[in-house]
Amino acid sequence: MIELIQNGPFAEKADPLFPGRVRIAGLGQTGIAVCDQIVLHGRPLQDVWILDSDQQTIEGSIVPAANRHLLGRNLVRGLGCGGDLELAREIVAVEEDRLSAIADGCDFLILLLGFGGSIGVALAEHLIQLGRKTEAKIIVVGAQPFAFEGWARREKAVAAIAGLRRDADSVLVLAHDRLAEHPAAVKNIRHGFYLMHQLMAQVAQALAQIVCKRGLIQLSFADVRSLYARYVGAEALENCWAAHVEGDTHDGAEYLVQRLLGSPVLKDGSVWKLADHAIVAVSGARDLGLSDVQELVGALKDNLPVNIPIATSASLDDDDHEKVRMTVLLAATAPAPAASVEFCVPGPRPAKKPKPAAETTRLTVMKDAPKSPEPSIPKAMTATKKIAPPPPTPGALKKAKPPQAPPPKPVEVSSPRNVEETPVEAWGETASVMSAGKAPPRKHIAKQEEMQFETAPRGRFEKTHETMYRGENLDQPTFRRRGVTIKL
Amino acid sequence: MFWGKSRNIVVGLEVGSTKVAAAVGEIRPDGTLALLGIGEAPSGQVRKCEIVDFEVAQGCVRDALAEAEQKTDIVVGEIYLAISGAHIRSSNTRVTTVINNEGDEIAAEHMQELHEMAASQPLPADHAIVHHLLQHYVLDDGSTTDNPAGLASKRLTAHFHQVYGLATRLQTTIRCVKELGIDVKNYALSSYATAQAVLTRSQKQLGAIVINLGGGVSDYVVYQKGNVVHTGVLGVGGDHLTNDIVSGLKIPYAKAEQLKKTEGSVILDPSEDGERITLPGSYNFEERQIPRPSLHTIMQMRQAEIFEIILDDLQQAPFWPEFAGTVYLTGGASQVKGLIELATQVFPCPAELAHQSPFDGDQNYGRRPDLSTVLGLLQYARQAELEIPAPRGFARVGQSLRRALANMRLI
Repeated sequence: MIELIQNGPFAEKADPLFPGRVRIAGLGQTGIAVCDQIVLHGRPLQDVWILDSDQQTIEGSIVPAANRHLLGRNLVRGLGCGGDLELAREIVAVEEDRLSAIADGCDFLILLLGFGGSIGVALAEHLIQLGRKTEAKIIVVGAQPFAFEGWARREKAVAAIAGLRRDADSVLVLAHDRLAEHPAAVKNIRHGFYLMHQLMAQVAQALAQIVCKRGLIQLSFADVRSLYARYVGAEALENCWAAHVEGDTHDGAEYLVQRLLGSPVLKDGSVWKLADHAIVAVSGARDLGLSDVQELVGALKDNLPVNIPIATSASLDDDDHEKVRMTVLLAATAPAPAASVEFCVPGPRPAKKPKPAAETTRLTVMKDAPKSPEPSIPKAMTATKKIAPPPPTPGALKKAKPPQAPPPKPVEVSSPRNVEETPVEAWGETASVMSAGKAPPRKHIAKQEEMQFETAPRGRFEKTHETMYRGENLDQPTFRRRGVTIKL
Repeated sequence: MFWGKSRNIVVGLEVGSTKVAAAVGEIRPDGTLALLGIGEAPSGQVRKCEIVDFEVAQGCVRDALAEAEQKTDIVVGEIYLAISGAHIRSSNTRVTTVINNEGDEIAAEHMQELHEMAASQPLPADHAIVHHLLQHYVLDDGSTTDNPAGLASKRLTAHFHQVYGLATRLQTTIRCVKELGIDVKNYALSSYATAQAVLTRSQKQLGAIVINLGGGVSDYVVYQKGNVVHTGVLGVGGDHLTNDIVSGLKIPYAKAEQLKKTEGSVILDPSEDGERITLPGSYNFEERQIPRPSLHTIMQMRQAEIFEIILDDLQQAPFWPEFAGTVYLTGGASQVKGLIELATQVFPCPAELAHQSPFDGDQNYGRRPDLSTVLGLLQYARQAELEIPAPRGFARVGQSLRRALANMRLI
């Protein structure tokens, strides 16, 4: 007897996780917001986990409670790291066992984070190492901070991108500033963040589709890696531009493509000067045919302002009849487009005030030294040794537009005591901080002022259902949620 | 004959977070509506348009209906009920049928079939349909029409806007009325009812967003090209402004409510810096001075947030890129100072206060935005009544008897 087993893409219950198992981990506040978007839109293709050291962020998420991990409770009591990368790394070290469980049992691990944060970056670094042990492929999707967020976050982002590119299989860097001109973001910057979270969620969905989901037209992880593993260090920061459109099969290819090209990121014409490859992920209901996909991609090619190679992935969804979704991921693979590096640079750096001479620490600062992507500073230096600026490496970061100043001179602030040096790294300068004798054990002070382990009283609305909106309880006074002090 | 002079009375009832209002109107033989009177009672134990304490809320409904009956000398037997609450959801859907008549001519039964299909669309678990509002029909050549009867097409598609909510919460409100021996003839989404009171046909055609700022919720409806394209309910309203004032200025709720009404503003004026408001003392409250900017900051932040959330929801909807209409604000919480200025700052389209369409009868309520929902319910009831064919013969006798018995409280 011959038994017909339908297990192709048209089977009634096709296994969506063939051939690999994808896990998505939202790291830190940005990653969690992106995961919320994934859960909110209810496309259960992957298992989604979130990790953070901030209890409010974890509790405000809509990811199932079993998949949320509050880290470092003993170290920071749920208050978060306050942007302290060292503290974040300590938390990660303490939580080794729980993190191993995240990296274990998946073929592809998509890490979502903001590059300007601390816990997200520290977690990503560690999960990449764990992923290597379990032979999982790691794809990092992250967003550069807005330019207005200042130099400190930008510096952290640059360092984080350089580090992650060294270790991860693919790193997709999106820039918040692409959305800065969006009318909604101009009016309220929270909308800008929200749009980026949505976009990152769509990118993660598209990547999951490409790397694991079988369909009409199959791409693979190799296609993703070939586009997003080209850069090393921070030679080009932004390397991914994405757009997503969701519509009806009756809407027509031309209409969908016009909507896609009108999306906030692609609207900006400068993107087309940078992007040189594209991946298109199309998914739709079971009535989506190859001809529909061809029509969509054909319409896209016809309407693109530049001629770039397009790789297409098409798959079928079990739900949403008559829906069709198309995500375009643009990539830059050409060597170090300078414009990409110079994009979203904050304004002029504020001049640092010189420390008073009576300081107990001693500083040796080399102003305006060019930054290497991976600066190597000796672990220990003598107090009198002056640091010479490292020679610029090929492909080193060009972003900062350093002013044409005379050769850097070391600035010395003398101290009467014998000191040891601890190297510190800063943007556009190399500095070493020397502290007297043996460095005292570091005491971490939580920077977040207030933490509510229990829900605050809601006054008149105590008996009612909470009105939640993007993790915020709207029954709580707005001024309190915004941290505004009311004068009495 | 005794049924020859029977009046077509319609009653709209809104169980709001601040008050319960019952409007009594009469549909005249020429189809016009005359308002006979409105009964009101302060709401108790209703939060965000959801009943917290059933018995207390039922008492308020009873009081409002009693006042309406007293004012109008009408015995209320059945009502149209306004429905709201943060559990209300909406979506746009479409259904298609194949025309297999001779000549592919579309008949009334095809349109009826589409309505039945829309009404039986699957909903999330535990949800019940409130409305399925027809947007338009689409023929097989892609052309759209509001009335396809008599046209030829092989397929007919109807686009609907569906509104649905949690069945249990809808039932609670309906049961609250029914247990008083009053029949709920039909119900309507609050914002949809409000729009019937404040929008003209041309405004609906040009595009309009009606935001009803109530005490417990802010609900909104969007019209484009004469059709409802989007609705929403945000579980935040004027009570939240008061609650914020209580929390921020540390004063009792009643004082905060009074302060909001008399001194409140949602626009920050730098010239008022340093000004203080004196809260008069009472037997259990010592006189206090409140910084005016503090009050306005609290109110401005909350109201701006309400508008921003609504705008965010609207921007996600497919109609938004083509929308070129006006935002109309109404509801009890729309009486706060500076609201239009704030709305103009937040919404990228003109904003103005909604004005109720003129009606016959008692003119004492025409300028009260907090009654626009219940007045809109009467308009909704009028449209519904006019669509129902008038009973004839024994049906008419039966209806008259039912009314007579209801008036005598026998049924």
